[in-house]
Amino acid sequence: MWLVRPALPGDVNQVLEIAGTVDSETARLSSTLPRQREALAEKIQHSQVSLAGTASGDSQPPRMLFVLEDTATGRIHGTAGIDARAGNGQPFYNYRRDALIHASHELGISSRVDVLYPSHGLTDHTLLCSFSITPELRNTDAFELLSRARILFMAGHRDWFTHRVAVEIQGVQLADGSVPFWDSLGRHFFNMDFDTADQHSGLLSKTFIAELMPPNPVYVTLLSEPAQAALGQPHELTVPNLELLQREGFQAGCYLDIFDGGPVLEARTDALHTLVISQSKALHGAVASEVEAAGGDGGDLCLIAAGEGAGFRCTLAKAAGTLEGTLKVPVKVWEVLGKNAGDQVRVAPC
Amino acid sequence: MLVIRPLQETDLEDLYAMAQKAGKGLTTLPADRGLLQRKIAHAQQTFNQRCAPEAGLYLFALEDTEAGKAVGISGIQARVGLDEVFYNYRLSVTVNASKELGVHVRTPTLHLSNDMTDTSEICSLLLSDDYHGGGNGLLLSRCRFMYLDEFRKHFSEKVFAEMRGVSDEQGLSPLWDALGSKFFDMEFTQADMLSGLGNKSFIAELMPKYPIYLPMLPDSARAVIGRVHGNTAPALKMLQAEGFNFNGMVDIFDGGPVVEAFVNTIRTVRDSINRHAMIAKKPINLDVPASERVMVSNRSFRNFRVTTVPASCISTDTVSLPPAVAEALQIESGDPVRLAPLKEKTKAAVHALG
Repeated sequence: MWLVRPALPGDVNQVLEIAGTVDSETARLSSTLPRQREALAEKIQHSQVSLAGTASGDSQPPRMLFVLEDTATGRIHGTAGIDARAGNGQPFYNYRRDALIHASHELGISSRVDVLYPSHGLTDHTLLCSFSITPELRNTDAFELLSRARILFMAGHRDWFTHRVAVEIQGVQLADGSVPFWDSLGRHFFNMDFDTADQHSGLLSKTFIAELMPPNPVYVTLLSEPAQAALGQPHELTVPNLELLQREGFQAGCYLDIFDGGPVLEARTDALHTLVISQSKALHGAVASEVEAAGGDGGDLCLIAAGEGAGFRCTLAKAAGTLEGTLKVPVKVWEVLGKNAGDQVRVAPC
Repeated sequence: MLVIRPLQETDLEDLYAMAQKAGKGLTTLPADRGLLQRKIAHAQQTFNQRCAPEAGLYLFALEDTEAGKAVGISGIQARVGLDEVFYNYRLSVTVNASKELGVHVRTPTLHLSNDMTDTSEICSLLLSDDYHGGGNGLLLSRCRFMYLDEFRKHFSEKVFAEMRGVSDEQGLSPLWDALGSKFFDMEFTQADMLSGLGNKSFIAELMPKYPIYLPMLPDSARAVIGRVHGNTAPALKMLQAEGFNFNGMVDIFDGGPVVEAFVNTIRTVRDSINRHAMIAKKPINLDVPASERVMVSNRSFRNFRVTTVPASCISTDTVSLPPAVAEALQIESGDPVRLAPLKEKTKAAVHALG
């Protein structure tokens, strides 16, 4: 069975493999997942503290990291994170794509000029981040579980999060590893290649962005043509993720990633599809496996989540409703979730 | 004899012919009769003090008295940027540095500015091809510094000149193509012409207001920022000899440099001396090389006239002028005149007497 649970210190080695070594494409596709052991261990540690709820009073806002585990083998196949406050107490940087009309009444001319404004507008919005999955699982149910489990976590811990939620989607990178948007803009100011800057942004305090990013707005028309074409465009490998998020209700707005020009998706937290359709139910006393054994219908495939904070678990299983409003699931789901008959779970159709 | 005098109505056809020949590039004097006529009228009003001092446009003609026609023009605009907005780019540097990363990046940046507002501009210099050489260009340009010096209260302490920037034979400007044209869908020559017709500030309203980071422009465009057109190199050299220096401002269209100087430090101003005119009885050979001649002005505001005489005419208190010169300057014996070297070499001669 597939299980999404909070990352634990013992997961470091496996997560590092996913982050950096399994295949370079995956590595590239999650810049907010550290590739260094120390940084990753720290991130997991922070996640544990956040989930334990002991972080209150601490200045650091909650940051959670979850992993996708195959319960049969114990192997980890992916990661997904939530930052309760984008920027984590520091400014969160984006470009806001906006327009000015340059008009001359006398000459009868009016032209639209696209401008990228440095922005902190998404600071303190809730941010979905650190999403990575082994390539063979892309576009499978497990992929959907990993991404949407976070929404169920948010549904169960609604007051941890803000009213708006955002996701940064990786932007265009060419086969040779070059990033057109970076090469046309950021490179001139940061004096480093894209990968270096990208790693720094995942690792260091973000003050280096404040120090090196050009402080003034940038005219789109002065970017190179490939850079202009890449504005707001997702990396082709992120398209399944993008589509999944769109089904969830996320939409691209006016914000772009400052490094690669990729789109930033936004949504109202309370309007997220999974959150809206999810229901809290008690587990039925009888287990579904008996029904299945009888060759009957086991119900529909659902995301089923349970537990609070560090005890959060989310899995994928066939479940059937009962007349009493309880949920009938296979017994192994009980085990995976660590729950028993009568316990509350949150369920959302897949 | 070649004499500087205020531009007048009868110069219109000569001026039009010159402007036509000059073609593109001289934005302040487009070959447009109506516009030239208005400029002449404006200049006349200025010399007759019928317009506000700050609105003054002082245009001088170089007249060939034998031929009876204007063969050159030069001017001073009392103040720029009052009627319409005067734009330049200021070439400056943005530094981004991170100690944490050991990065220190200097980025040359163009900032749109109106810093030259309320400053006097020397402008509109044009000399007929047939009269090039012999110090005529120097007379046409430098007479203005004598005027600025005489009537300082009408001008700002600092004066500047916009130098023509780089464009090729087809009239294409690398900076315009990389920057201006992206915001204003027009060829450089057309924009340049419009700006000569008084539409420059309209065009500027369509130009980018935020700073332009130069690394985002192609090399061809970056290379011409602050550079002058080949044809303008001699004019730049002349102004540099007068003490004018690049002040970090460039033209928003072609990137040509702005050079400036304080009036009191301009070489012609510093080296000029006062004398009384003395009409010479015996003939004086006026036909000496430019390097041996000095400019002599009648110091008149309304009827400013300047011509050149041999430096040897200067004595301790007086300068001997042949009757023809006195007539050209419209002065009589005993009238005060002001003298200044025409070329750097004559400086020594003037100084020896000063």
